Amino acid sequence: MSGLLAWVDRRFPLTKLVKESMTEYYAPKNFNFWYFFGSLALLVFVIQVVTGIFLLAHYQPSASKAFGSIQGIMYDVKWGWLIRYIHTTGASFFFIVIYLHMLRGYLYGSFRKPRELLWIIGFVIYICLMAEAYFGYVLPYGNMSYWGGQVITSIVGAIPYIGTWLAELARGSFGIGTPTLNRFMAFHAVLVPGLLAVLVLLHVVALHETGSNNPDGIEIRDHLGPDGKPLDGIPFHPYYTVKDVFGVGVFLIVFSLVVLYAPTMHGLFIETYNYIPANPLQTPPDVTPAWYLAPYYAMLRAIPNKELGILTLFLAVVAPFFLPWLDRNPKAKSVRYRPVYLVMVVVLVVSMLVLGWIGMQPASPKLLPPARFFLVLYFGFFVLLPFISRIEPTKPVPDRVRM
Amino acid sequence: MKKLLFLALLVLGAAPLAAVAESGPQLMTPHYHFDRPTIREGARLFAEHCFSCHSMSRIRYNRLETDLGMSAKTLKQDIMLPSGAQLNKGMVVTMRPKDATKWFGVAPPDLSLEARYRGVDWIYTYLMSFYRDPSRPTGFNNHVFPKVAMPDVLAPLQGIRAKDGSVIEKGSVSPQVFDQDMQYITAWLQYASDPSKLERDSIGPWVIAFLVVFTILAYALKRAVWRDVH
Amino acid sequence: MRVERTPGDTSRGASNIQNRGILMANEDQDQGERPDGGGSSHGGKAAHGDVDKGKRQFLAAATSAVGVAGVATLAVPFVKSLEPDASVAAAATTIADLTKVAPGMQMTVSWQDKPVIIVHRTPEMLKSLKEVTPDLADPNCEVPQQPPYAKNIYRARKPEWLVMVRVCTHLCCIPLYKPKPGTVEPNWDGGFHCPCHGSLYDLSGRVFKDVPAPRNMAIPEYEFIDDGSKVKITAMYPKAKLC
Repeated sequence: MSGLLAWVDRRFPLTKLVKESMTEYYAPKNFNFWYFFGSLALLVFVIQVVTGIFLLAHYQPSASKAFGSIQGIMYDVKWGWLIRYIHTTGASFFFIVIYLHMLRGYLYGSFRKPRELLWIIGFVIYICLMAEAYFGYVLPYGNMSYWGGQVITSIVGAIPYIGTWLAELARGSFGIGTPTLNRFMAFHAVLVPGLLAVLVLLHVVALHETGSNNPDGIEIRDHLGPDGKPLDGIPFHPYYTVKDVFGVGVFLIVFSLVVLYAPTMHGLFIETYNYIPANPLQTPPDVTPAWYLAPYYAMLRAIPNKELGILTLFLAVVAPFFLPWLDRNPKAKSVRYRPVYLVMVVVLVVSMLVLGWIGMQPASPKLLPPARFFLVLYFGFFVLLPFISRIEPTKPVPDRVRM
Repeated sequence: MKKLLFLALLVLGAAPLAAVAESGPQLMTPHYHFDRPTIREGARLFAEHCFSCHSMSRIRYNRLETDLGMSAKTLKQDIMLPSGAQLNKGMVVTMRPKDATKWFGVAPPDLSLEARYRGVDWIYTYLMSFYRDPSRPTGFNNHVFPKVAMPDVLAPLQGIRAKDGSVIEKGSVSPQVFDQDMQYITAWLQYASDPSKLERDSIGPWVIAFLVVFTILAYALKRAVWRDVH
Repeated sequence: MRVERTPGDTSRGASNIQNRGILMANEDQDQGERPDGGGSSHGGKAAHGDVDKGKRQFLAAATSAVGVAGVATLAVPFVKSLEPDASVAAAATTIADLTKVAPGMQMTVSWQDKPVIIVHRTPEMLKSLKEVTPDLADPNCEVPQQPPYAKNIYRARKPEWLVMVRVCTHLCCIPLYKPKPGTVEPNWDGGFHCPCHGSLYDLSGRVFKDVPAPRNMAIPEYEFIDDGSKVKITAMYPKAKLC
């Protein structure tokens, strides 16, 4: 066995890779609950790709056959219902995990120097994930798939000068139809997963270059032992491999409970309107996006002007990119030592949650004032952070981590 | 103190949300046990009262044997009624959509996914809610589905009621039996819209138990490895 | 390469204590050794370390075994999902209603995208099968183009019912059904004539001598159901060659 390993190592840096990324890569020893979600995101990615491949074996990307092929999977394919439910649950759980993963970044200042690029790559992953979800949602070709497809390609159409042409490129036709399904399948099954795989690799490479942040926001590489390793660090393997396996266990229990007992989550994960086939002549009473895009939809609806609304949506999605340069607290990164920043993050989270709820309701004039209120709070976070972070009271930051 | 003020502001901002309420007819919730005998009875009643017009094309006849434990005899006798019915093909009526549209104004929809789309409460309430309405072409209307094109095929069973619920004519079965029959049919429609539920309910406890065992082991391993970290 | 640290060693810790605020009251002062991630035996804890290591190894093995078992079990439904599904199984068999076929008439149904002809043969047609023998290339069905129950001159379970895949064994055209005597050629007793290259077959699909087609037409596997009122065509006979 060790002979085989030596043979491989002479030709491929296997042992070197394992050492550098796992057994001799040191991570802070004080990772808490918020640090599970990176590895869980990777797990969900793998789950989606595997279930996606097996769904692709049966899916038919034509306007007349798509809906029927999904029902074929649910009724006729052996265990098809299981694979499909895992895929739809996985889509929603991907966003739950990613939002919690991003929230960790907000809480502990993981976007601060020298991790700006790590953060930006992460945000590009988030944008790709939203695109992936959108393309995938159109494929079953239920009535919500159809009209959701229409709405988003119309938003693309609002881009100045090239918008109409881009929308036609996206649809492949004058309206949503078979050409749209064919190319969306190419994007959903090949293009975006490929991009995501590359981006995730880059994300991990960037992480390993700087080392991970931690709940105290201090740099463990500032205090090295005589062996050159961080005093507050522990090798990723076996400590975090073992801890992440436990995290996977807990995650799979929750995940399986949903897949087996509440796969549609009462219309939240699989919307009831998608149980009727696409009908170009009949729009559902409310065309709302899936829950994970709902906050942005609420923001869009809060602005009465079409172009300004789309601009607001764009700015809302893009604002977090600038976070590394907006947060200027010179002394601390983590909310543990910044009570005012903690309040700001809480307000941001509450705003997103409320906006998300609003985004899932039918359009109503009664909802406009709260939507606008929380929209202001959302943008307020980013606009005020540069100023507040300079002057906020900061508790003394320790030298060494706190378990 | 400041935190409380903040929370208060947030709540105030969110308060108008409480004013946005749901509207629509009050739906009743059925109370059946979702098990095989119930669904089999529902299938039988469906075949008796609904299967002249409504297809269940996604459900293949042979599925009733494997999923529901229905006997081949009952299946052939009570369920496989339309001509051309074959075991491995779906439950399809022979009424042609063109004729149906001529007679009813709209073709009776395939009900395979109806329970998913409408919800179980809606279907149950719908079945219970027909009433006499001379202004309609069929002579009947429905509280849950105003101006429905479907005639009250259940009238022989339920009897005929006026819009306010008063009895015009008694049915062939008592109101309790009728209620139960409608629940059976609802259970059948629920099964038809998602047959996997029976399978999920049966393997669920095993999957969760296995995962709990795995997680406990993983936790013990984690504790053992992390023993020397402080 | 570990550096021993005992509680109270303040050479590095001193500055830490000064930097602590009230928040740090609960911090464990023992900065301790950095764990080396494996079996550790330091001084008097030697025996303990061995027990720890054994326990760790056992738990690692147990967790891995359970995990692998779980993944293997999960793989089964995924692999099974690639098996032909219920809709394919439904299309794989075709059921034909024989009550519609009067004596002397035929019905051609589609089965697995192939044409299957069902002929309700009259007694005259059956008699002619014996007479045409000298002109046939394989009158006794030596070549296995039919299931065992069809290895007779009728090439059928029941003599009056021919159930045959109507595909010419030469180059896969669909032969014309010519039951009337004297039509295709002067001594014609009834049978099949393929328009593509002129192959001829009798009323049991047995191929004539000196024609391009090499074999008798294939008989599929079938059975009578519903008291003989219907025939269910299920599969190709494995040894038969279609064309």
